[in-house]
Amino acid sequence: MDAPHHIGAGPFATTGRSRQGEPWVWLTAAGLTLGVLMALGLFVLILVKGAASFWPRSVERIEIRQDSATTVIAGIITQENERRATDGTLHQQIQIFRGNRDLSGEAFVYLDRKDITATTRPESMLVLERLEYGPAIVEAVALETGGTRVAAEDPAFANELERLLDEGRRLRKQLLRVERRDIGAVSRELEELDRAQRGGTVATQEAAPRRVALEARFEKLRAEALRIRSQLSAATFVGVTADDRELRMATGDLLDVFAPNQAGWTGRLGETLRRVWKFLVENPREANTEGGVFPAIFGTVVMTLVMSLFVTPFGVIAAIYLREYARQGLLVRIVRVCVNNLAGVPSIVFGVFGLAFFVYFVGGFVDRSLYADRLPTPTFGTPGILWASLTLALLTLPVLIVATEEALGAVPRGVREAALACGASKWQMIQRVVLPASLPGILTGIILAMARGAGEVAPLMLVGVVKLAPSLPVDTIAPFIHPERKFMHLGFHIYDLGFQSPDAEAAKPMVFATALLLILVVVILNLAAILIRNRIRKRFATSSF
Amino acid sequence: MQETFDAPDPRRFEVSRATLWFDRLMGWLIRCGGIAVILAVFGILYFVAKEVVPLFRGATVAEAGSAQLPPDAKVLGVDEWGTTAFSYHGGSTVHFTEIATGTRHEHSLAGFEDADITACSFDPVRARVAVGTANGRVGSFVVRFERKADDSGGFEVVPRVESEPWFRLEHGSGSVTAVSDGDSGATRLVAVKRGEGASANVAILRLGMKRGLVGKGKLTLLGEHDVTPLLGSEARLLRASQNGMAALIACADGGVRYLLADAGGVSLRQTFEPFADSVPLSMDFLFGGVSAILTGPGGIQEQWSLFRGSEDAERLFGRTKSFPALGDAVPVFAASQRNRTFLTSDDDGGVALRHSTSGDTRWEGEVGIDPALAVMDAKGEHFLVADARGGLRRFHVHDPHPEAGWRAFFGKVWYEGGSGPVWQWQSTGGSDDFEPKFSMMPLIFGSLKGTAYAMLFSVPVALLAAVFSAAFLPQEFKRVIKPLMEIMASLPSVVLGFLAGLWLAPILETRVPSVLAILVLLPLTALAAGFLWCRLPIRVRNRIAPGSEWWLVLPVLALAGWTGWIAGPLVESWCFTCTDPATGGTIADFRLWWPQATGTAFEQRNSLVLGFMMGFAVIPVIFTIAEDALSNVPRSLTSAAAALGASRWHVVRTILLPVASAGIFSALMIGFGRAVGETMIMVMATGNTPITEWNLFNGMRTLSANIAVELPEASVGSTHYRALFLGAVVLFAMTFVMNTAAELLRQRLRERNRIV
Repeated sequence: MDAPHHIGAGPFATTGRSRQGEPWVWLTAAGLTLGVLMALGLFVLILVKGAASFWPRSVERIEIRQDSATTVIAGIITQENERRATDGTLHQQIQIFRGNRDLSGEAFVYLDRKDITATTRPESMLVLERLEYGPAIVEAVALETGGTRVAAEDPAFANELERLLDEGRRLRKQLLRVERRDIGAVSRELEELDRAQRGGTVATQEAAPRRVALEARFEKLRAEALRIRSQLSAATFVGVTADDRELRMATGDLLDVFAPNQAGWTGRLGETLRRVWKFLVENPREANTEGGVFPAIFGTVVMTLVMSLFVTPFGVIAAIYLREYARQGLLVRIVRVCVNNLAGVPSIVFGVFGLAFFVYFVGGFVDRSLYADRLPTPTFGTPGILWASLTLALLTLPVLIVATEEALGAVPRGVREAALACGASKWQMIQRVVLPASLPGILTGIILAMARGAGEVAPLMLVGVVKLAPSLPVDTIAPFIHPERKFMHLGFHIYDLGFQSPDAEAAKPMVFATALLLILVVVILNLAAILIRNRIRKRFATSSF
Repeated sequence: MQETFDAPDPRRFEVSRATLWFDRLMGWLIRCGGIAVILAVFGILYFVAKEVVPLFRGATVAEAGSAQLPPDAKVLGVDEWGTTAFSYHGGSTVHFTEIATGTRHEHSLAGFEDADITACSFDPVRARVAVGTANGRVGSFVVRFERKADDSGGFEVVPRVESEPWFRLEHGSGSVTAVSDGDSGATRLVAVKRGEGASANVAILRLGMKRGLVGKGKLTLLGEHDVTPLLGSEARLLRASQNGMAALIACADGGVRYLLADAGGVSLRQTFEPFADSVPLSMDFLFGGVSAILTGPGGIQEQWSLFRGSEDAERLFGRTKSFPALGDAVPVFAASQRNRTFLTSDDDGGVALRHSTSGDTRWEGEVGIDPALAVMDAKGEHFLVADARGGLRRFHVHDPHPEAGWRAFFGKVWYEGGSGPVWQWQSTGGSDDFEPKFSMMPLIFGSLKGTAYAMLFSVPVALLAAVFSAAFLPQEFKRVIKPLMEIMASLPSVVLGFLAGLWLAPILETRVPSVLAILVLLPLTALAAGFLWCRLPIRVRNRIAPGSEWWLVLPVLALAGWTGWIAGPLVESWCFTCTDPATGGTIADFRLWWPQATGTAFEQRNSLVLGFMMGFAVIPVIFTIAEDALSNVPRSLTSAAAALGASRWHVVRTILLPVASAGIFSALMIGFGRAVGETMIMVMATGNTPITEWNLFNGMRTLSANIAVELPEASVGSTHYRALFLGAVVLFAMTFVMNTAAELLRQRLRERNRIV
């Protein structure tokens, strides 16, 4: 490393005290400070907003007086701002999330501060997480199961609710198993039978009894699913909203109940952690605005791993070729300029290439030669996770080539010559001396490539990412790995939630949470790369060659 | 055996054959792999360009069969698939000719037995032949084709003829001399001329379908209008438009009358003289019925389209394009029913396919006969020409991208309905007869506009930061700040785009004056702080090490930011007041003031928001490269300058900046490349309207965003799909040129610094 540039520092420094041009120095300082502030501010903003989306906030019961009529509303204050009315006066406006979309339509209401006459935080207010219509904010009245009714004042109420919630969880899991796995398996078999019959490998008289058996099984499973569904709606939760409307819903649709106003600091922290956990492991619900992002995390991870599987050997081989084997002449210089250039080619261009080459050219060829019986429905000739990974591998290739070349170049000449002098062949020298020495540098390159790949969205929109993938690219159905499937991705999830969602306002907490997750992944990968690089620098700085 | 103990076996010192073999194998493998990777890199350009090349190919036309029709056909038509031609000769029969086999059969027309046909015309869109008789009756028949699978696995085309009711004309006398029919599907308009010379009479019939509850409706006469008094001159050519609402009538005085029919009757809207006082040789509507192609003396061909001259004016005809001249003969004309291609002939037997959007000639050539009639099939795959003796030739046309071409992509084009030639991108429309608009220019403009505003904000910040970091910042801070900037460079742009669109845009929407105030205040306060600081006594200044200015300036900047934020509404109430259109009172609101003061729009997602957010993506790129360039200036130079007594700013200005200028320039170019190609921020924060305005307070549509938004929905191989690929090629070329130049500059700089 160069020594620091400190013009004016040191024992003979007088220029640091000169007044000439000093304001300009301050201007440059302001530039740096602004840049640093922007970077830090962004991280802090995402961190705060993302973390806040998990924190359970208190439910306020607000009395409003408008045109001499008093109304009551209960909800969570989500935003406060100033709004200018048409007559030019400023109003303090608050945005309240009141939930109950099924009862009152809009989930968000805007109130003028001056209309509010009273605000309380009643302990009995509950936030219900539901399968449909988003959260509800109500007070509990009773639980009705068949003929029995447990009122909210009854001490047995809490236990009964807990029991019903548990049973609901169990039944939903069962239902998922029947509907997704078992019925899915039957319909897949039927589909295969159809294809075989069309292809002529199975005779019609042979297929008919099999079809009858499969259809009978299908009917049985459907009846089973119906039975579970009726069990799910056996008990009813009765609640009342702040404006005295009754909410009745099956406990099977109830995912969770939380009373934020009763919970203390630790209770809220526990709820936060529980929400973070659910966010990480659950599937999305309601057009992705509720539930978790597990499929998106899974898709991002699989795509990034497959991408590094492709990019690592090719990147390293290309770099070894450029640095160790190719004759250093005009050609290599041109190639190096091109590789550098490739790093500057817009990512969307890679997406366009991936669509033309991988999806339509290679994928179409694979379909015609291996999956001709399924045409015209494409198998590989349509965007999918394999093509997405390959496209991103190409996109990140220059990152890895440049990093690896740098690492190879940093291995001192003396070491190489020593290896050759001991009688090692060229490959032995590379394999036993150069590669181990440059491994941390190569690793840095791989990590940087992964960070770049994980955060990239634009090319994926063309080659395989979707809003909602019905199944994961790796699962328990043979052949277990499905490289042709479309997948979900954290970055695209952000775009989709923020810009394609029916209710962008309701999706905002989810977007911030997802953004936080994505940023964390990228920043951690980058930090790892930087730390490894710093360690290498130290090692080479102290090495005695 | 004994000797081996004395001297070691020389083979011991030989490298094992396996090692050598493995070494060669690996060397070979690595060379192959390396070259393959490099080839793959160039493959990108190849595969993207491969999709674009077909856009710039003309049409290919090949003869595909010939047949013999009965001579003297008046009307020539063909089925959708180009297999069976039909001809009408003015009697009570229609002749069908299968082109592949040459077999001919006749269909007789019900109700035509005693009609003495004196005029007829053909509307290929509805496959309707309109006729007029010597005793002043007007009728029509429709030809339909059905495709049925035959026994051999192929298809057989079965024609059918349906006669339609006759209507007796009330106005005028004598035989019908010209007739033209237009059908919108609900109403029909028939323009009819009776008699010749001074006594000629022109009437317009409006026909409507009365819909019954079951089956087909009954065709009824809505009204007959004598338009002879409106014309004022003898009519020569009649053309009813395909929308059944309008007719063009070319008269003997050279004027073309535009007549419009509506519920109130028929009125003359416009008279235009395309060729001074000569009568057009031909006049035909194009697909969509908005434009007509007129041929004048000498074969001058012009396109006249309906458009509004100004916002609230009526839609009238105006000359929008001219095509190369054809010669003096009356040209044969046939319009495509799929796009705006038309076929026309010149006076020595040549035929040309022309496209009206770009004004290009798609194909030109000989057809071997002297064409008297021509028709194009509904799929646009064939055209048929016939001569007066009944010789018929079929040609196969392969022209997948007629709308494409250099002029369509990069030139200004006068589209139908527009009031002048424009650059416009509008790839899809609501109706079948939509004219696609594929100009790359608004997108290139959008990319450049977005980049320019991004650079306007990023370049000063990044360069100032780089100078401070390279010249003044102590090493221990530099070790933290450089990685911080690197991490900032790798922030996913989708996060930035989402923040710009959903978080920042709503905040800045009401605070534009504050932002402007902060932009002015920040640099001024920093300069002022420096000015005041160096006037403090030396003892005070000595307490702070040089290079600490970056945190000393922090409170000053915070103060400036806060002041600007607070002062914004004040500035707004002083400078940006306007009258509120709702109440009529005066209101201080920048959002209303801006459109009133400049006449351009104010949008929430505008270039101001975009420029700021793009800063997060561009600043770290420029900073890192510029900082490297500045740090690599040989220390001997700066130390020498300092030793000669230059102040530290003087060293930066006279040594550091000039020596590193090439590197800084290359940093700017790489920043430009990053900004041009940025996609997600552009998609999410710009509003995506393809406009060409430099207005700071509205958005744009960039090449990259356009690809991301439209490519998933474009059908593979279509003109739209390939046009998007062309966008990718343009984007690639822009960044490739910039990056190569930057790389060459950087290499030259490295050489120079080595010499120094």
